[in-house]
Amino acid sequence: MTDRIREQMSALLDGELPQDEVGLLVRRLERDAALRQAFGHYVLAGEVLRSPGGPLASAGFAAAVSAAIDEAPAQADRVRPDAHAAGRWWSKPAFATAVAATAAIFAVLIVQTRVQPPASIAASALRQAQQAFAGPPVVHSSSPTAASSQRLAGYLMAHSQFASPIGRRNVWSGVLAADPSISRVSYESAGTP
Amino acid sequence: MKPMANFPPDDGSMEAQEPREDGSRPASGVEQSDLELVRRVQRGERGAFDLLVLRYQHKVVKLVARLLRDPTEAEDVAQEAFVKAYRALGSFRGDSAFYTWLYRIAVNTARNSMASRQRRPLDYETDLSESEQNAVASRMSHSDTPEASVLSEEIHQTVNEAVSGLPEDLRTAIILREIEGLSYEEIAAAMDCPVGTVRSRIFRAREAIDRSLKPLLD
Repeated sequence: MTDRIREQMSALLDGELPQDEVGLLVRRLERDAALRQAFGHYVLAGEVLRSPGGPLASAGFAAAVSAAIDEAPAQADRVRPDAHAAGRWWSKPAFATAVAATAAIFAVLIVQTRVQPPASIAASALRQAQQAFAGPPVVHSSSPTAASSQRLAGYLMAHSQFASPIGRRNVWSGVLAADPSISRVSYESAGTP
Repeated sequence: MKPMANFPPDDGSMEAQEPREDGSRPASGVEQSDLELVRRVQRGERGAFDLLVLRYQHKVVKLVARLLRDPTEAEDVAQEAFVKAYRALGSFRGDSAFYTWLYRIAVNTARNSMASRQRRPLDYETDLSESEQNAVASRMSHSDTPEASVLSEEIHQTVNEAVSGLPEDLRTAIILREIEGLSYEEIAAAMDCPVGTVRSRIFRAREAIDRSLKPLLD
């Protein structure tokens, strides 16, 4: 046992040993009983200096603790980081994933309810337009009039600012394809951005 | 975590630290060293836990002995506390200092021990058979026997004499470290010498004390 190792041990006791030297020293201490004994003496001396009087742990105390841990391997011989939480069903990954997924779904639903996206507005307008054109088959058996088509065109123009360019294009394509009576509506003339 | 106001660590490390701006106390070198050892235990290095036991065995035994009305069980309860700490170490996240966490386990273990003892039908004060007396004797902690008391006194005397006999630079370094709880850097500033010299002086002081203790303990 060299002085260098014992000096490292002294520094470890004071929390002054560089982290990259700790691992090797711990492993050395693990297999060197004499070194562990010296470590215990260092601790004892400090304890006596700091607080004279009072009971001290006996010389074999640390070894007894080690043996007690070894004697109960069935219960918890190995320390697992998640051992404490192992029995908690709410901490299991599957449950956590399910909670996260549920939260995500709720979040999406809430956002959709509160802020309908422009594409949805356009799609909704398209559905309304198609309903307006198609109408209930029993009540409206004929094709829509030019006036209703103009109202629809105005509606779409008024709302198209909320639609994305692709959405606008799709809406217009659908409307124009659905009613040949609407010859042309100038996109720019509606004053849209 | 609730602070253990009644049981502050007596290594002086608490006093040596300046509080942060947010009021919290920066982790001392010992706390960081403890945390490093804890991480190693969590990775399966059992030897690191043995070092934690060696470091805190006297503190925990003292604490438990103060808490128990019958201090003869101090070592048994302290041992149980360490075993519990080992088993629960996987859940230790380092939000508090390791010794604070360990002391809490020790306090709870002592409380449970006192509670279970109150439920026992047989008290040690009643007449005991010879085998029962032997059982009680075996339960008595080493630190409570008369021989242990004598040994404890001898240890205290030997350590104090060894420190008194140290050269001044070694004595100053070990006192500033062990009693005042200063870091190596603070000791270096106080003694106007390099940190490496402080480390060497403290080590040599410990070696000298160890040489005095060996005949007693081996």
